[in-house]
Amino acid sequence: MKPNETKKENEISRREFLRNLGLAGAGILAATSPWLSTFSEVVNTKKEKCRLGIIGPGSRGQFLMSFISRNPKAEITALADIYEPSLESAAKIAPNAKIYRDHRSLLEDKNVDAVIVATPLHTHHDIVMDAFDAGKHVYCEKTIGYTMQECFDMYNKHRDTGLIFFSGQQRLFDPRYIKAMDLVHKGVFGKVSAVDAFWNRNGDWRRNVPSPELEKFINWRLYKESSRGLMSELGCHQLQVGTWALGKLPDKVMGHGGITYWKDGREVHDNVHCIYGYDTGETITYGSVISNKFYGLEEKIMGNLGTVEPENGKYFFEEIAPAPAFLQMINSWEHALFDEIPFAGTSWAPETANENKGSFILGERPKGDGTSLLTEAFVEAVITGKQPERIAEEGYYASLLCLWGHEAIERGEIMRFPEEYRIDYAPYGTKRQSVIS
Amino acid sequence: MKDIIINSRRQKVELWYLLGAFVVANLFNLWAIFRYDASIKEMYTSFFYVLVFTFFIYVLSVIVRLLMYGVCRLFSRRKAIRQTNL
Repeated sequence: MKPNETKKENEISRREFLRNLGLAGAGILAATSPWLSTFSEVVNTKKEKCRLGIIGPGSRGQFLMSFISRNPKAEITALADIYEPSLESAAKIAPNAKIYRDHRSLLEDKNVDAVIVATPLHTHHDIVMDAFDAGKHVYCEKTIGYTMQECFDMYNKHRDTGLIFFSGQQRLFDPRYIKAMDLVHKGVFGKVSAVDAFWNRNGDWRRNVPSPELEKFINWRLYKESSRGLMSELGCHQLQVGTWALGKLPDKVMGHGGITYWKDGREVHDNVHCIYGYDTGETITYGSVISNKFYGLEEKIMGNLGTVEPENGKYFFEEIAPAPAFLQMINSWEHALFDEIPFAGTSWAPETANENKGSFILGERPKGDGTSLLTEAFVEAVITGKQPERIAEEGYYASLLCLWGHEAIERGEIMRFPEEYRIDYAPYGTKRQSVIS
Repeated sequence: MKDIIINSRRQKVELWYLLGAFVVANLFNLWAIFRYDASIKEMYTSFFYVLVFTFFIYVLSVIVRLLMYGVCRLFSRRKAIRQTNL
C-alpha cells in the first residue's frame, strides 16, 4: 500500500473512532481540543502494549486501574504503595503486577514504561521528578504540585526530558465538553463574559480511619501540610474549563474561604470562593461548599446568546423560538374569553414557549466523564512516544490557577498573575482570541 | 335499535362541510402567520393543529345545524297541531 493510502486509511479510522465517541466533525474539533491528536495512530498501535506502574493505588488509583485493566493495549506490571490495604485491593485488579513498598524501587523496574501517580498532593513533586529522572512517562493526578514552584519544576522537567506528561484533567477528553467548547469557540453562544463554576456537596469529605495515628495519612485532604483543600481537589478541574472556554488566562484573583460547618479538627476550608478577573473584563468565579449540595456541580459558560452547562450536558439559548402562530392565535382567543374569569387559570401556550428546557450537547443525556478516554490517550501517547499538543500545559495551568486562588484566599489579597510561572504557551493564542470575541 | 341511513346526498353535503371547515382553518392559520410575523412554513408545519381545528369547526357546524334542525322541527310540529285543531 502506498504511504498516502495508508495515511488516508488512518485518517478515516480516526474519524470513525471519534464519531463513535459522538464527536462528529473530528477535524474541526482538533482546533478546540488539539490533544485529540493523540488518537491519530490508534489503528497502527493495535498490537502494541504499554506497561504501567501505579504509584499510590488507593481509591483514585484503583478507579484509574479499572479503566486501564480493560484496555488491551495496557498492562499493569507494578504497584507501589506504603499502605498495605491499598496494595491488597489493587492486587485484585492487577494480579500479575509486581508489588513494591517504595516508589523508587518501582521506578528501577525495567518492565515499567510509564507510571500513574495517584498519591496525596504533597508527594506528587518528588515522585514525578524521580520518575522523569528514571526515564518513565508520567500521568500525575491533579493538582500536579503542592506549590506553584513545584508545578513549574515538574513542567520544565517534562520539557527537558521530552517524556510524556499527562495530568488527571478528564474533562479534556469528555465528548460533551469537547463538543461544547467547539460550539463556544465558534461563537454559537455569542461573546462569553463569565464562567460560573461551582462544586457543592453535603458531606464531611472524610475517609474511615482504622486507627487514630493514621488520621493525617488517610484524611490527607483535610490538612494543610498535605493538601490545598477544595481548591486543589475540586477547583482544579473546573478552573481549567473556564480558561478553555474563554481561551485565555486570567490576570488577577481574589478569594475568601473558611471553616463554617465541619469544625472537626480539619485545617482546610469547608467553603471557598474565588473570583478570577481578566483585564478585558471577563470573569471566572469558582465556589465550593461542602455543607449544602442543592446546586451540585456545574460550570456555567455564559454568552450573550446562550448558556452552556457542560456537566449537565446541556445548552440553552437566550432567545427561544416562539410557539407556532396558530397556537398563539388560539392562546389570544383563550385570553380574550377567559381572562376575566378567575377559575380559568394560566394559559398553556406561553408557558410551553417560555419554559427553556435547553438541548443536550450530544443529543442525549451524558454518559461517563472522560476518564476512560484520558487513560486511553495516555496509553496511546506512551506507545507512540508523542506528547499530545497542549495536554501538559492545560494540566500545568489548571494546577497553577487553583494554587494561585488558594494563595489569594490565604493572604486575603487581590493577586496579579505570577509572571515568573508563565510558560511559553498561550492557551488558545491570539488567533483563537479573535474567533471567540 | 333503528338503523341510521346516511344517504349519498347527505354524505356529499357533510364532505363539503368538512372541506369548508378545512379551508376556514387554513385561512385562520394564514391570518395568524401574518399577525404574529411567523414563517410561511407554518402553513404545513402547523398542519396537525389545523387538522384538529378543522374537526373542531366541523363539530361546531354539526351542533349548530342540529340545533337549527331541532328548532325548525319544533315550529313545524306546532304549526301542524294548530292546523289539525282547526
